[in-house]
Amino acid sequence: MAHVQLDHIYKQYRGTATPAVDDVSFTVQDGEFMVLLGPSGCGKSTTLRMVAGLESITAGALSIDGRAMNEVAAKDRDIAMVFQSYALYPHMTVAENLAFGLKRRNVEAALIQSRIAAASGILGLDELLQRKPFALSGGQRQRVALGRAIVREPKVFLFDEPLSNLDAALRVNTRNELVRLHHRLGATMVYVTHDQVEAMTMGQRICVMNKGRVAQIGKPLEVYRAPADVFVAKFLGNPPMNIVGARVAVQDAQPWAVLPGGTRLPLAHWGTALADGQAIQVGVRPEELSMASDAGGDDSVLKGVVSAVEPLGAETLVVLDLQEGGGEIIARLHRDTPAALGDRAALQVRPQALYVFDGATGKAIPVEIQA
Amino acid sequence: MTPSALPAGLLTRWLRQGGLMAIIVLYTLYSALPFVWVGAMSLRTTLEISASHFAWPDVYHWEKYRIAWVDSNFAQYFWNSTLVVGAAVAIVTLFGAAAAHCLARYNFRGNRLVYFILFSSIVFPPQIILISLFQVLVEYNLYNTRLGLVLVYVGLQLPLTVYLLEGFFSRIPQDLFDAAKIDGYGDFEIFWRIVLPVGMPAIATTVILNFIQLWNEFLFAVVLVSEPGLRTLPIGIRAYMGDYFQDIGMIATGMMIAVIPVVIVYAFFSEKLIQGMTAGAVK
Repeated sequence: MAHVQLDHIYKQYRGTATPAVDDVSFTVQDGEFMVLLGPSGCGKSTTLRMVAGLESITAGALSIDGRAMNEVAAKDRDIAMVFQSYALYPHMTVAENLAFGLKRRNVEAALIQSRIAAASGILGLDELLQRKPFALSGGQRQRVALGRAIVREPKVFLFDEPLSNLDAALRVNTRNELVRLHHRLGATMVYVTHDQVEAMTMGQRICVMNKGRVAQIGKPLEVYRAPADVFVAKFLGNPPMNIVGARVAVQDAQPWAVLPGGTRLPLAHWGTALADGQAIQVGVRPEELSMASDAGGDDSVLKGVVSAVEPLGAETLVVLDLQEGGGEIIARLHRDTPAALGDRAALQVRPQALYVFDGATGKAIPVEIQA
Repeated sequence: MTPSALPAGLLTRWLRQGGLMAIIVLYTLYSALPFVWVGAMSLRTTLEISASHFAWPDVYHWEKYRIAWVDSNFAQYFWNSTLVVGAAVAIVTLFGAAAAHCLARYNFRGNRLVYFILFSSIVFPPQIILISLFQVLVEYNLYNTRLGLVLVYVGLQLPLTVYLLEGFFSRIPQDLFDAAKIDGYGDFEIFWRIVLPVGMPAIATTVILNFIQLWNEFLFAVVLVSEPGLRTLPIGIRAYMGDYFQDIGMIATGMMIAVIPVVIVYAFFSEKLIQGMTAGAVK
């Protein structure tokens, strides 16, 4: 296994104004499962393809196990890749698909057979070896694609959204299988996805990308609990974090966030980090909101009109229109919450659950005083 | 059961299916009957045919095939056609597939320009270039040679072949090539081991089309080859057509000899075509 290092990697296609990958740097440790997460077009697949050697690197340095890889051909990088479309050779049987890469490397026939047998055993392909891809289901094809990577015994496994073409139930099963596989092989894996659930459940660390740049790198829960900017805050979490524009008002040396319409939220933990009149964006996760009791004061209470109710069975999502330019807030409430369209309602916000981001740049403003 | 007692839906379906069947039968007869007629004439003498045009042979004159093959030199013409058309189709298929793969897969400067130049030559009717082609072949000592004819046939069929194959190859997913690259295969190996097998339905189609077109090709063969020993089959059959008399019986026999390889090629390559398509060649 190996560690992969990207130093200030750039990728610019001819004739384009902005780079597809813009100053991306990260290291994947030996045996680590790193997930590259981001929306379509953020550059995550391009980054992966540069690691694979399928795209040239415009600028920056790529190394695998300390060895510079910029000019090394894909076939000599000792990597294996699993594609979104599986990329199985349609005119070959499953066994031939598995053996194809090994034959090219002049691996002995006996060794090829033993590796195929081992991979087939792990992935349950024994009965499928003589079938051609057209006779396999989506899940079976995915396992063959995995098997083709495993038999190569590469230094690094690369995955380019391999679960995107599977149905929801199969996706959950295969996700767990991949995690078990990683545990079993202890392999270095770089996994690209746009699905935050995959990232949160599979990655040991996630690298969130946006518009070709790295937004944040960290362990899944760390990134979830301490997002670096508004983009990361909204991308992780379903429903996404509520973000509302506000202005800082400092009163008695304590900062408050004043929302359009007059609602005030206390920002005591930010101390002197915020200036009076500063434009900010306040964030709160839907699961941190609760129905306000009548006995509570007006501070930290968001009032509005219910504009949507989504009973999901295990919980109920309530969308509150704050009105007066405040926007909409989504709350995850108990499944028996009595809320109906058009009702006037109020949601309680715990001050400790608030996030503050700069009004212009969207960057997170960290607390000054820890809770 | 009287028609009025049948359910309306069932009657409509019968009429519709019967109508379709009638059209299919009519079209089959329209296509097959001329062929059957030529087959019948190939076993009758010209005198018998003159007496009764459409009759079935009373006596099967199988010796006419021997006469055509040996006495009329059809064996030589057959060999010339096989050599020239076989070589031309092989070259067109190989070069055409390679060119189509490059145009479909590689993003090089001038890609579309090359494609356009190649494709635009289809617009011109071959008669336009006939005389200048004749002069060029004479100049390069290729006039009246099988090689010259092969090269002309390759030039004639290459644009359409490249056009057909480029369209098919461009739909092969890029992931397949990426996977092969990672597996360690070079560009040429990928072409040989991935593109050709996966593209077999399209290649089989172009082989069939090219073979039929060139096997029946008359104009360039009659202009560019004059020596009797180098004649191809269409020219050989033409020899039975004199200014005052046409040996219909022998023409029919010659045509039947000429048609057999086409049927064989079609049968073989259409099998490959169907195999490729049912295997779901392109995912």
